[in-house]
Amino acid sequence: MPISPEIIETLRLELRRGTLILAVLGALRTEKYGYMLKSELGEQGVEIDEGALYPMLRRLESQGLLTSEWREDAKRQKRFYRLSADGAAALSQLTEEWRGMNRALDRILKESGQ
Amino acid sequence: MTDDLVNAHLKFHDMDAPGGERKVKDMIPRYLAAVERRLPNEQAKDIIAELSEAIASKIEAKEAQLGRAAADDEIADVLKSFGHPVVVASRYSGRDHLIGPQLYPWFWDAQRVGVGLVLAIGLIVLGVRALGADAPISFVFRGIGNILEGAVLAFGMLTVVFVMLERTKTDLRLAARWSPKTLPQDHIRKPRSLFESVFTFAFDIVFILWWVRVIDFPNEVPGRNNSMELHFAEAWAQLHAPILVLALLTAAVHLSDILHPGWSRLRAVISILGHVGGLAVLWVLFRAGPLVSVTASAEESQRAFEVANFINGIFGPVLGIVGLFWAIGMGVEIWRLIQSVRPKIPTASVAI
Repeated sequence: MPISPEIIETLRLELRRGTLILAVLGALRTEKYGYMLKSELGEQGVEIDEGALYPMLRRLESQGLLTSEWREDAKRQKRFYRLSADGAAALSQLTEEWRGMNRALDRILKESGQ
Repeated sequence: MTDDLVNAHLKFHDMDAPGGERKVKDMIPRYLAAVERRLPNEQAKDIIAELSEAIASKIEAKEAQLGRAAADDEIADVLKSFGHPVVVASRYSGRDHLIGPQLYPWFWDAQRVGVGLVLAIGLIVLGVRALGADAPISFVFRGIGNILEGAVLAFGMLTVVFVMLERTKTDLRLAARWSPKTLPQDHIRKPRSLFESVFTFAFDIVFILWWVRVIDFPNEVPGRNNSMELHFAEAWAQLHAPILVLALLTAAVHLSDILHPGWSRLRAVISILGHVGGLAVLWVLFRAGPLVSVTASAEESQRAFEVANFINGIFGPVLGIVGLFWAIGMGVEIWRLIQSVRPKIPTASVAI
């Protein structure tokens, strides 16, 4: 019996959920405003909805991982985000975790012939 | 800052979208207003300012890509891509569930016990009362409505309690405060199912409430005029308090079966003490003589006498059978207690 597309989509979303935060933190090592961040992530192959991105940015800021400031750019006020010192430390730990998992998954998937 | 930004964006669209200004003017502020009124006051202005800027950036990029001003439908598509105002606002609130995954398993367990208890108590009381009702079937139908109302109320109250626990971030640490050592010991006694435990406890509650006369059951003996009533004889009066204590003890044991279904030595000791007390009560009753009396109108006095004799006649064998079962139950509990303190025989290792 073929797997339904809904199940695949649910699994895909679960797989992506945690990695998006890592992508956002990584991309914000240099200062960006929301739309610029979304565009750059998209160019790198990481698509994220605005409806998810902006609340995530605020949550990460409230957790102390990001800082932000309103500034004029191209004649409009924009909110620029960047990684805080705590955010940089968190990114370093999460990156280590991610690489470890990636290596382990690579081995498992190679052994299973994927 | 928000108003300035929105106005700036409106101005931007007024200039770049001739003919479509009216709708564009409407759509963006209406969208932002729909989100804003669902946001917490202290953050609303800031969030809307950022959202407004994000929408403007996206429309600007779209127009740069098209090489012309965005049409109304294209602007509507941009707004749709941000999500429904209710969904967007809820994402900013940081709450996307009433009861989170930490509390959810306990929530359902509490519902099964709480709602189950209400249903079981209601059904037991309804069943007994229906036996003495003039029209039992319609009595049952009326009563079921009340029971269902009670069950819904219990469900709602428990839900409110868990929502409050979730909102206040109360960590019950239930998942952390357990030990594999406290799991039920199946080889000593297979734990009762939750349904059985809840139903038994409900029966205890109904009995206690009836024994202390909080609830009444009909005591008429079916007959021509319904003039005959069954009463406890004097023998029961001196046993009122001991029976109440035993019933409370039994209820406590059954409650512990719900909360902590594992067999324990303490439970076994309490159970044995309960059985001893129960047998003592049976012995006193056995020796006490008539246990019930029947009152009736003068014309049914002879029949009342016969009914009382019949009931008192069968009480002896019934007490004997109950005593036998309790003695066996007590013996089983004593055996389990002995088993639990004997050194265990090593068993084959379990492959996982």
